[in-house]
Amino acid sequence: MAEIKIDCINETCPVPLVEARKALRKASKGDVVEITGTHQSSKKEIPMAVKSMGLELLGVEEEGGVWSIRIRK
Amino acid sequence: MDKKTIYFDNAASSRMDERVLEAMKPYFFDVYAVATSEFGYSLGIEAREALDLARAKILSALGNPEGKLIFTSGSTESSNIAIKGVVRNLSGKKGKHIIVSKIEDFPVLNSAKSLERNGIKVTYLDVDKYGLVDLNQLKDSISKETILVSIQHANQEIGTIQDIKTIGEICDRNNVIFHSDATHSFMRIPFDLSKLSVDLLTVSAHTFHGPKGIGALFVREGVPVAKWIDGGFQEFDLRAGVENIPGAVGFAKAVELVTKEENETLRNLRDYLVEKIQNEIPYTTPNGHPEKRIPHNANITFHYVEGESITLHLDMKGFAVSTGSACFSKSLEASHVILGIGGDHERAHGSVRFTFGRFNKKEDVDKMVEALKEIVRQLRVISPLKGEKVR
Repeated sequence: MAEIKIDCINETCPVPLVEARKALRKASKGDVVEITGTHQSSKKEIPMAVKSMGLELLGVEEEGGVWSIRIRK
Repeated sequence: MDKKTIYFDNAASSRMDERVLEAMKPYFFDVYAVATSEFGYSLGIEAREALDLARAKILSALGNPEGKLIFTSGSTESSNIAIKGVVRNLSGKKGKHIIVSKIEDFPVLNSAKSLERNGIKVTYLDVDKYGLVDLNQLKDSISKETILVSIQHANQEIGTIQDIKTIGEICDRNNVIFHSDATHSFMRIPFDLSKLSVDLLTVSAHTFHGPKGIGALFVREGVPVAKWIDGGFQEFDLRAGVENIPGAVGFAKAVELVTKEENETLRNLRDYLVEKIQNEIPYTTPNGHPEKRIPHNANITFHYVEGESITLHLDMKGFAVSTGSACFSKSLEASHVILGIGGDHERAHGSVRFTFGRFNKKEDVDKMVEALKEIVRQLRVISPLKGEKVR
């Protein structure tokens, strides 16, 4: 299973969600996609999208204003 | 491709009708010659006949005005030929000034900006809160230097229809050439070009279930448009290049298939959607003129949320709609149309465009509004844009 990292630091909404979706489309079943970013709306919106897509949210962490969201396809 | 997508973005492009494809097929596999081969062999004569018949059908739908219909690759090329072609021909002779509205689509707006960088003076006309051009400002802006006015027939985002009859008369009185981009109105609202003072008109096929890659420019008799792609003598020596005969045939077939009843159905679907959204989702504002609007367009601002987020979440639930703003290009520029009608950045970013086509059904509208209600509710919960009242 691959681990795919997406850097969306300093990008504003909806770019982190768009990039997360692109990565998830390319990922194979079981792969983990980790998105890091700074825009607070995206931090809330991506988990909402994960639920909508029926995927597994592995965790949401934040340190020093930089959040990371891990999703398993 | 996800076959379950319910598509409400027909102004961006529409699903081609199978009957259009059937009409085009013989011109890929049987009559595949080009029209300029009419002097050489029978297949060329057949190609020429097909091209001219397609042209005649489209001209007939325009009211058989006196002039030429040139096939192009689409609206972008048509508007570029119209604006740059006239400026190229007249700027050394008459003047160096053109007028466009602030809410034109990009082929017109960016042609104007490109000309501006090359020494042409451009006036960008204001519009009112519904998107209607200020006709007094138009009159005041025309000078002896003015060579062209380009004002769209219907707006690509908010659907407002301009008074091209009066605009044409103003231009005519002042001896100024008038171009109008009718990409979003052609075949969706009736108009008779033989009774309008429109000198150049841009149309396209793919917004009403025709093929992509084919459009046309109507050029009224005597309007001086310079040829700007050098090559052969096709299309009345105004547009060089091998003729897209299957495209032209498909375009004409698409024209033939649109009916008054279909446009009425689209209007009913649109009105049903707007009413349902206004009744079931709080804090929404419809954009565009309440009456002077094309039948298949609705544009709604969902306050306190971003339109881009709505489109993404709707997509995940199987619905395709669009926003006017260019977030996907990462520029985060707000819609110039919503800003043009006096909206602020929040309104411009919170606007969603729904455009209807032949394959939409009432139950699809019901399904989408159900999804939309939940999406907007959830997005407002996490939105940084609002106060406690909508949480």
